[in-house]
Amino acid sequence: MPITRKALPDGLELFVSGRIDGAAANELEIQVLEAIRSGAKTVYINLAEASFLCSAGLRVLLQYWRQMKGAGKSLRVANPSPEVNSVLTMTGFRDQMVEGAS
Amino acid sequence: MDIVSEHRLRNDLAETRQIGGWVETFAQRAGLKPEVRNAIDLALIECVTNVISYAWNDSKEHWITVRLRASPGEVRVEVSDDGREFNPLTVPPVDMTQPLERREPGGLGVHMMRQRMEAVEYRREDGRNIVTMKKRTGEAVSL
Repeated sequence: MPITRKALPDGLELFVSGRIDGAAANELEIQVLEAIRSGAKTVYINLAEASFLCSAGLRVLLQYWRQMKGAGKSLRVANPSPEVNSVLTMTGFRDQMVEGAS
Repeated sequence: MDIVSEHRLRNDLAETRQIGGWVETFAQRAGLKPEVRNAIDLALIECVTNVISYAWNDSKEHWITVRLRASPGEVRVEVSDDGREFNPLTVPPVDMTQPLERREPGGLGVHMMRQRMEAVEYRREDGRNIVTMKKRTGEAVSL
């Protein structure tokens, strides 16, 4: 599951492609942690090219969304693919986590 | 004639990487629409992940059996294991009224199984947990 990074004025954007299954969720967590440790105020997880998102991936998103919020910072999902958007909606994550959703 | 596909995987989360390919091949053989394929894919990964995570508390190798069956108008997904008795239907539903700050992290997998499949059933038979999930396809099975 390729993950690329792009620096932004206020933080960092991670572009995730392919299936976010259990093993890929671990890789995502490593990248999110690195982004947070780099001091980014906002971390965007761009899921436009993610074809699949399971509960393991959702737990990573939830854990670090909470952690960033608690630190006065922000983690947002950007441009979810239709399948990912469906999963985020089904689980009630969409409104609070997707950039521009609410 | 029904399309049937059977697989076995070890109780190792890395083994779940095979599931996407199994489902894709099965969906092509059965002529399933993408939304049906995606639903089976997600529900199956969640079900199998739960089995691997909770069915055994030793460090031994165990096997999980997955059966996919496409009949006219319906797909049936069965996951069975010889682990300790566990009925996923007893997992409390996710409280969607809670904001993310207060959400419990557990129960998401079973929630997604219930959301994506029209029926989720459990039985215990001959020392095995058997979870059966069904989804209507509204189409004939291709031969």
